[in-house]
Amino acid sequence: MPHSTEYAIEVEALTKHYGDLQAVNGVSFNVRQGEVFAFLGPNGAGKTTTVEIIEGIRTPTSGKVHVLGMDIAKNKHAIIPRIGVLPQGFSSFDRITVRESIHYYAQLFGCPHPDVDGLMHLTELQDKSRVQFRELSGGLKQRLGIAIALVNDPEIVFLDEPTTGLDPHARRAVWDVLLGLKNQGKVVFLTTHYMEEAELLADTVAIIARGNIVAIGSPAELIERHAHYMCLTLKSVNATTAATLRQMNYEPVEDHRHNIKVLVPHTDDVYAILQSLKSAGNALPGMDVRKPNLEEVFLALTHESLRGDALADGDIS
Amino acid sequence: MTPRIIAANLLVRLRTFSRERSALFFTIAFPVILVLVFGAIFTKPEHLNFDLPVQDLDQSTASAQLLESLAVDGVFKTTVIPPAVDATVYARTHKMNLVLVIPRGLAAAQARRISKVDINTSVNLTYIYDPSSTSVTTKLSYLSAIVATTNQLMTGTPAFITLVEQSILSAKYRFIEFFVPGIIAMAVMTSSLSGALNMNAELRQKGILKKLATTPITRTDWLLSNILYQLVLAIISTISILLVSYLVFDVRLHLNAWLPVYLVLEVFVFVGLGMLLTPIAKEAESATAAANAFLFPMMFLSGTFFPVEMMPGFLQTFAKVLPLYYMNEGLRASMIFMDNLTIVRCATITGGVAAVVFIAGTLVTRWDKGT
Repeated sequence: MPHSTEYAIEVEALTKHYGDLQAVNGVSFNVRQGEVFAFLGPNGAGKTTTVEIIEGIRTPTSGKVHVLGMDIAKNKHAIIPRIGVLPQGFSSFDRITVRESIHYYAQLFGCPHPDVDGLMHLTELQDKSRVQFRELSGGLKQRLGIAIALVNDPEIVFLDEPTTGLDPHARRAVWDVLLGLKNQGKVVFLTTHYMEEAELLADTVAIIARGNIVAIGSPAELIERHAHYMCLTLKSVNATTAATLRQMNYEPVEDHRHNIKVLVPHTDDVYAILQSLKSAGNALPGMDVRKPNLEEVFLALTHESLRGDALADGDIS
Repeated sequence: MTPRIIAANLLVRLRTFSRERSALFFTIAFPVILVLVFGAIFTKPEHLNFDLPVQDLDQSTASAQLLESLAVDGVFKTTVIPPAVDATVYARTHKMNLVLVIPRGLAAAQARRISKVDINTSVNLTYIYDPSSTSVTTKLSYLSAIVATTNQLMTGTPAFITLVEQSILSAKYRFIEFFVPGIIAMAVMTSSLSGALNMNAELRQKGILKKLATTPITRTDWLLSNILYQLVLAIISTISILLVSYLVFDVRLHLNAWLPVYLVLEVFVFVGLGMLLTPIAKEAESATAAANAFLFPMMFLSGTFFPVEMMPGFLQTFAKVLPLYYMNEGLRASMIFMDNLTIVRCATITGGVAAVVFIAGTLVTRWDKGT
């Protein structure tokens, strides 16, 4: 019995407990047809547990999940042929080639004549057709995982951290594939702890922390709703700049390159700061003013770091 | 059950197998090496050759005749120790576990016996031995047999009681013929149990099972494709073992339809058992340990290398609860003794175990890491 046609995925009061640990704590959200939905949160926030319940791999402690209008608990076998999944840390059979792997999964889904070449073209794996899985780099493995997730031409594609552990170049290549899927109008359910990824690809972002959704909306809406300030960066400053800012009751944050970041409530405040710095004799070799990004929204909402690694140092150009 | 899915899984497993040299080695070379090694050790005892240092204190024609008798059937290669040395010291310093001393007066005693001057006269051959050595028992049994024959020879007394053999079998079978069915059963068990267990643990560890959970494959498809794959391996290793056994040892075995029947049943039993153990052994390392915990007792207690009758009574009882015991008994009954009653009895028991283990294996197979 179809539940709804407006939403591809409906999640209602979902909880998952492992003993005393509450991995998912009453999460509710909907994913519309044709949208890219990103689940953004740090490691251990409950992203993978939630997505694996939606995929039918795990059973929830309580709550309801409907996928394509059907209850996953009752209609898993009808749902599975209509979804594609890239699990976290995707791996395949070591000694099976790219072409053979795609063909294998196509057989599991009952596709007698799969468009293996088309999938390899989409994921730019044409040159690796005869390469065994164990010989592929991390980025190529993820792209093969995406090709396999698409082998049954699914209506919803789940991608659990598709770019984790990849270098910037490989990450961009995966993004290109995901943008291609977005253009095809597929529902893409993405979990990530890379804010740039969510900001670039997602129509809707749900921020999850400690098993709870703390905000949901488009990236622009989230920034508009939760970040009421401007972000001023002063580059290569001298020692007295920070002191001057503190005297003006700001909280400057200085990095190892002597760049100072300061959050200011209004555009007019930027003029006031620049005027004060100039009056105090501070040189200003460079500066920029911008609206805050999702990461800053996330920090403001959760008071915890989005990820452990150092993406902030500019590993994505 | 979906034949297309089973065929796709089988193809992936066979491709992996053909591209993995170590898998080829353990499936073909390992059982073949076992047959060659055990065949060489046990099939031709006449080729046994032990060094036997002998100290001849008599230095007579009679002692020379005794020395000649000791070496006549080739079991012992005698070397003579000078009469002046201390034989015990010699055995210790030369690390010999058996040294024989022919006493002075052998020829004189023999003369008194033959001339019937004193028909009760006898001499003592002293053997100096190391009781901690495992091969001494074998050497002594050969030595006793040789001494018994030489007794008759040197005293001119023909044997009164002799043994005449009459087999209940149409042909006499050798140890290698007893051994080959056991090796087939053992090779199939090892590859099925550890193959299923290791593969599942590896695929779980890599997250491939989790990916499979998001495809239409069912637990029955998965189990059946693993069974088919192990059956292919079982056929390959059985053919290798039989080829080597026929070519090298010229075995005479009855090859009939029961052999494939037993192979199918055994693969079902041990792949199913592997599936049953998979939830316990979640990682590759613990999978190997769990497999060994089952494999080794079965290997040694089920009559693979020697008949169960040679074991103590309680172990014989224990052997009868091990599935490999019925494989060994059934295969030997079909390949050597042609004992239809035993063949059917063992096949029925193995079939029952196979059904239970297969159903239980299907029930415990889980794709995900937890509920």
